[in-house]
Order: sequence, then structure tokens, then C-alpha cells
Amino acid sequence: MQEYQKVIARLERLARDRGLSFDPVFFRLTDSDEIAEVASMGLPNRFVHWLWGGAYKELSIQQAKEVFSILELVLNTSPSYAFLRHTNTYLQNVLVIAHVYGHVDFFRNNHWYRKSNKNMLNEAELHARIIRAYEAKYGREKVEELLNQMLTVATSVNAFERNPAERHKRLIYYLEEKFWESLRRRLQEALGLTDAELDQLALTEDVMDRLPADAAELVLKTHLLRMIREEAEYFDIIQRTHIINEGWATFVEAELLREILSTREWATISVQLSNRPAPYTIGYTLFKHIRDARGFDEVLRVRRDYDDIRLVDAVLTEEMVQRLDLFVYDPKEKSKSYDLHQVKDMLIAQKLYKGEPHIEVEPGDGGELVLRHHEEDKKLDPKRIERFLRAVRGLWGPNVRLWANGKCYPQPPAA
Amino acid sequence: MAAARRAYDGMRIRRGRIAQSKHDHLLREYIKNNLNDLIQQKELIVDGRVKTQIATLDLPTLKYGEEVPVLAQGQGGQGGGKGAGKGGQDAGGEMQMLGGILGGDHHGRELRVELDFDEFVRLAQEVLIGQMELPAFHEPVGQGEVESEDIAELDDLDRIGLRADLNLEETMLHSLRRNARERGVLDFDVDIQQDAWYFVEDPSSFENHRSVEIYVLDISGSMRGEYLSLVRKTIFVLWYYLEQRYPTNLRKYVVFQDVAEEKSRDEFFSVESSGGTHISAGFEKAMELLEGVTEYDKFLFLFTDGETSSSDFDLAKRRYEEALERFDLVCYGHVNPGGRSVGGFSEHVQEAARRHPSATFANLTDLESVKGAMAEFLNFFKERAGRRPCRSIRR
Repeated sequence: MQEYQKVIARLERLARDRGLSFDPVFFRLTDSDEIAEVASMGLPNRFVHWLWGGAYKELSIQQAKEVFSILELVLNTSPSYAFLRHTNTYLQNVLVIAHVYGHVDFFRNNHWYRKSNKNMLNEAELHARIIRAYEAKYGREKVEELLNQMLTVATSVNAFERNPAERHKRLIYYLEEKFWESLRRRLQEALGLTDAELDQLALTEDVMDRLPADAAELVLKTHLLRMIREEAEYFDIIQRTHIINEGWATFVEAELLREILSTREWATISVQLSNRPAPYTIGYTLFKHIRDARGFDEVLRVRRDYDDIRLVDAVLTEEMVQRLDLFVYDPKEKSKSYDLHQVKDMLIAQKLYKGEPHIEVEPGDGGELVLRHHEEDKKLDPKRIERFLRAVRGLWGPNVRLWANGKCYPQPPAA
Repeated sequence: MAAARRAYDGMRIRRGRIAQSKHDHLLREYIKNNLNDLIQQKELIVDGRVKTQIATLDLPTLKYGEEVPVLAQGQGGQGGGKGAGKGGQDAGGEMQMLGGILGGDHHGRELRVELDFDEFVRLAQEVLIGQMELPAFHEPVGQGEVESEDIAELDDLDRIGLRADLNLEETMLHSLRRNARERGVLDFDVDIQQDAWYFVEDPSSFENHRSVEIYVLDISGSMRGEYLSLVRKTIFVLWYYLEQRYPTNLRKYVVFQDVAEEKSRDEFFSVESSGGTHISAGFEKAMELLEGVTEYDKFLFLFTDGETSSSDFDLAKRRYEEALERFDLVCYGHVNPGGRSVGGFSEHVQEAARRHPSATFANLTDLESVKGAMAEFLNFFKERAGRRPCRSIRR
């Protein structure tokens, strides 16, 4: 690490000179295996689940085959942690360090990130411990099954949604609220607490032990779902700002490196800059465009106020769509469309629902949960509908219905 | 620094690997539970691997049931690097799909699970042996070849051999003649390099101690689905026993309909069924493959539904008799998943097999019947152990 201290200090100074600001950054040298591990789990000390195992296996295989490798990883926490690979070349790591300063500036200044949970490293550790304790208490299988079901509905989070009525339409928030309402009632009955007291109440073991035994399941579900939702929101913010965040980091990287690299070094780097995954190149192109058209102060403002959707909507032009070779591909027709509006619509739709089908909770009566798929022109895979409904029933109970593909699942009994 | 690093690595909890082992455990369970469907795939092996219909284990989230338009980026000089999504091949591999959370990420990719064929066979054996409650094979697992006790007959001579097999008489005589010729003296001045003669095994009677197994499969039009599934299951179970007795066995594969052809293993497990049936062609090809074979035990496994064409009936009978002479064991599997009564050529074999010691007949109707067939097959080893003591290899 010693060899990098000088260049880190220099890059940090350069970044601050340009008006960037960030929490302290801790760099650590590590190996590909640990990077693959953190990348697949999302956070280094998160609870262990088979789903990350699949991602980890795939990453390890790809890294072993040198299909691609992750050069760098940085966590949105305060202070920030960044991992460098000790197998990277010196120049690669210099590039990574500059890139990291872009990310940590974004984490600190972007409007959406300011409200994100900067303590997630500790929270995830706490969650992992609680989950282990629950496994010991209720059995590993039971807890694992609930986690599978909760991770399935967790794709419905939207950390940007502040309107309670809209949040209510998303399955995970709906379930969490209903669970908490029931639990509140049980707590009120058992402990005789007022509403104000209940609002202050932390779900400690001591409180839970005072509940009647038949409330155990409810406590378990409520608590697990809250943890899963918190973690899902942490990742949701990252996903909804993928283009702007990577674009910004790549832009900052280029800005800083131009100052410290020789022409020759810069030439090899600029090849690497254009040879990045799509979100990097799209975001980078958009930021360069803003700087050239409206200056550096405007760039700083955009990185503070925008998210992916707003950035794409405001900056992407016909000409850029062509230059980036960005198009909507229709696999049925095998056709490409470079129409700006189509490309924008598609980008925005993918951001809003992360490429997942758009499902909303509808008001149902009593013990029934009614879900509806809202894109009438698209069909859902019926095999997955069955599996999905089984998972939701595991959380909610038997009365779950889904309207999709022009009918109701499961089919209501004939009158 | 390095010491600190090592200490850290030692302490590190490898959560990734723990998660992976959980994942792989579930995956094995999944594959085991779906083995019956997998085994019936017409093309079981593609590029040396078993491709499944399932993606990497995933959560039951909702997905679109049809191909919907996606955002993509051309690869004209850029892109590359990380995670090109699925379906990139559709347009000639020139684009990167920006699906899900917009590409560049390893999430949201749909990979079909693939297994090494050997791994697949091991999983299948695990399931099948468990399901069928088959007996364990009690012969010790050999290291390379079958071990036996008696001494190979060294009834030939060669200039190359082992020192222990030196033929003293012939060597001395050779030395005497050489000395007379070269130095004009009658002297036994032996130069091993020049004079030695050794006892060796007669190459024409040389046998190595592996087995040759020839698998002959009827691929006429009627052999598909359940038929293939039963044949493959039977073969996998056979392998389980054969591999323990002959760890280095030699396997050959033949498919036939009107004519017979030798295939590679991978082709054998990916055959298209069509055409009529000439069982005689299968036997003929199998015997042809015995040319030059020096393996210790020779097994023929033939699987058919027995519907040979009427013109072939008599020829098939004759070829069957010949095969019985030339193989140590001819196993005839009548593939009959419907459990109908045995007719046609199979009926003939069923009769013949009762009389002939090196013939077995199996009516493969279901897994239970495979079990019966295996019991008979294992019996062969038992009987053989009593009948003809295994010979041993020296050295």
C-alpha cells in the first residue's frame, strides 16, 4: 500500500481543487477472490445466502478464465472503503484510485445518496448476526425459506419513492406495513403500550419474549422483512444511479489523470476509458457533453441534483444515440431502432422497474392480497407466476391473487 | 506486511465460498429432482457437456414470458469488457444487451446450468443407486487393471525383456556363437547387451486386464423419450459396477437402424432416432470392433425394442449365436417402457438366453426391472469367480 500513498495524496488534492468533496477514504489492497466475494454479496459482511453463492461462483469462473475482472470496488459508507487488487498493475491501480474519488464524491454530494444509509456496513453485520440468532432459534430451514420469499418480493423496493400512497402499491412496503400493523396490535394487547410508546419501541429480544408464543412467527417475519427491505434499498439507490454514478466516476478519473499522466500513459488509459461497459461510456459521454456545453460548475450541479432518469432525459441527444450506437432491439422482429424517444423511453422504463415486470398491489378486502401486472402488452411467464405466488403465499397466507396475461391466477372457482 | 496479510487471510471467513457451497448443494438437489427430464433430452451431450433447461438457481421473481424489446449497445469498437447479456448471439454477437439494471453488471444474466458429462453421470448414479436400492459391489476397487493370481505363460522368446525373465540357455549359446565368430574362440563371454534372450508372453495370446464394453443402441424411429431414458439409466448403472471392477475399461459405441455405425461417446448420447431396424447389423458391427482387441473381458450390451424387420430375423439369430461365441457376456436389453408382452426377436433371445451361460436377457420396463437386470449381471461375476479363477499379471 505504501507505494500508492503519494499518488493517493496527490489525486485527493487534485480532486478537492476541482470542488469535489468526500468522506475519508480507506484504500485496501486485496485479491480477486475477496473482490469477487464482496461484489457478489454487495457488502463484505452481509448474511450468507445461496443466491450470492451463484453470483460468486460465476464471477470466480470468469475471473479465472480472464473473461473479465473487477478492478475496483468501493462502498457507499462513511468513511468510504475502497478495494484495490494487488494483481493490478501500478497504472491500473492509479486509474482505480482516481475513479474511486469520483464515486466517493458522488456518494457524499448526490441528492439521493445524502439520505442513504451510510452505516450499512455495520447494519449488515448486525443483520447477519440477528439472522444467525433466528436460525438457531427457529431452525435454519424455516429462516432460509422466509429469506428466499422476502428476497423474491424485495425487487419491488424503490428507495426514491417518498409518496406513501405510491409506496403502498409496491409489494414489499405493503407487506411490511401489514405485518407491523398486526404486530403493533399484539404488542398493544400484551404490553398495554400507547401509540406514542409503540412508535419508540425497538424490537429487542426482551420485548419479544413478553409476547405470547403464537406471535413468534409474526415477530420473525416483521423483523426479517424490515432488514431485507433496508438492505434492498441500499442497493436500489446504487442501481437507480448506475449510469450517472459510473459516468461521473469515469469523468472524474479522466479529469484527474490528465493532470498526472504522461502523454504515453494517457494514451493507453484513454483506450481503456472508451472500452468500458455501457453505463460507464453512456454516463461519461453525457458528462463530457455538459462540460463542453455549459462548463464545469454545471457538471458539479448535475452530479448533485440528478439521477439516471433525469440525466438521460435532459442530456441525451439524437447525435449521441448514434455515436454511442445505442438502440432498442426487438428480438421478435430482429430490428434496431435509433429513435431518440424510443431509446429514452426504454432507458427510463428500465430504470423505474429495473427491467422487472411492473406489479402493483390493489386494495383488496380483508385477508386477501390482490396484485396486478400493469403492462397489458407484455405477457408474464406462467411457470414463474406459480412459483412467485407460492413465495408470496408463504409470507401473506393462502389468499393471494395475481391479475396478469388477461386472467386471474389462480383461476377463481367457477360460480 | 506479508505476515500480516497471511494472518488476515487465515482469519478471513470466506463467505463467498460458504454461499457457493450452499448454492451448489441446492443445485445438486434440483438436478437430482429433475434427472428424469434431463436424461431424456434428445441431445444429452453438447460440446462434451450436459446442458440443462434451468438457469442458475434463482429466486421465483416474475419475468416476461416472451422476448420483449431491450436496450442494447453495438460493439463497434467499444463495450466489451464486462457482462454482455444473454442473446448477444441473436444479431451476430455484435451487441451488448442492457437489460435489467442496465448491463455491465453480473446480475440479471441468464445462464443455463451446464455440467460436465462425468459429473452428470455421477449425480445420476447417486440418484439411481439410491432409488433402486442396489447392492454395493464387493469386489475391491482395483488401481488400474483386474488383478488375478496365476502366472502368465511366457512361452515365446524375444531380444527385449525383463532381466528376471532371462533365458540363460539361449543367451549362453548366443554368446558362444558370437565369440567363435568374432574372436575365433569358444568362450562363454556373455555381453548382455548383445547376447541376451528373454522369455516373453506370446503376443498372439497376450491379454491385457481391462474390459472392452461395446454398447449397441437401436435408434430406429420408435426409440425415443421413455425408451432413451431407460437405456441411459441402465447404462449409467452398468458403468457404476463396471468402473469399480475395471477402472481403465475401454468403451465403444455403436448405433444402428438399417445400418450400423460406430460413434463417439458424445454422439452416442445425442442421437436422432429414425429409420427401420436391422438387429443383425448391430451385432455385425459389434463383432467387427473386436478385431485386434486384447481386453480381458468382452461385454456386449445391446438395447433394442426387438422390432427387427421380418427379412432380418434369421440373419439376426445367426449373428446373435456368433456374438455369444465371441463375447464373454452378451446382455440383451429389451426396451419396453410400456410393459407389453415380449415378442419379435426379443422373444427369441429370451428363450436362447435361458440355455446359454454367457447370455442375459433383460426386459427393461421400468427402474425396478433394471434392478433385476443388474442382479443378473452381477451374478455373472460371481459365477465367473467360481468357474474360472482370475489370472494374474506378473510385474
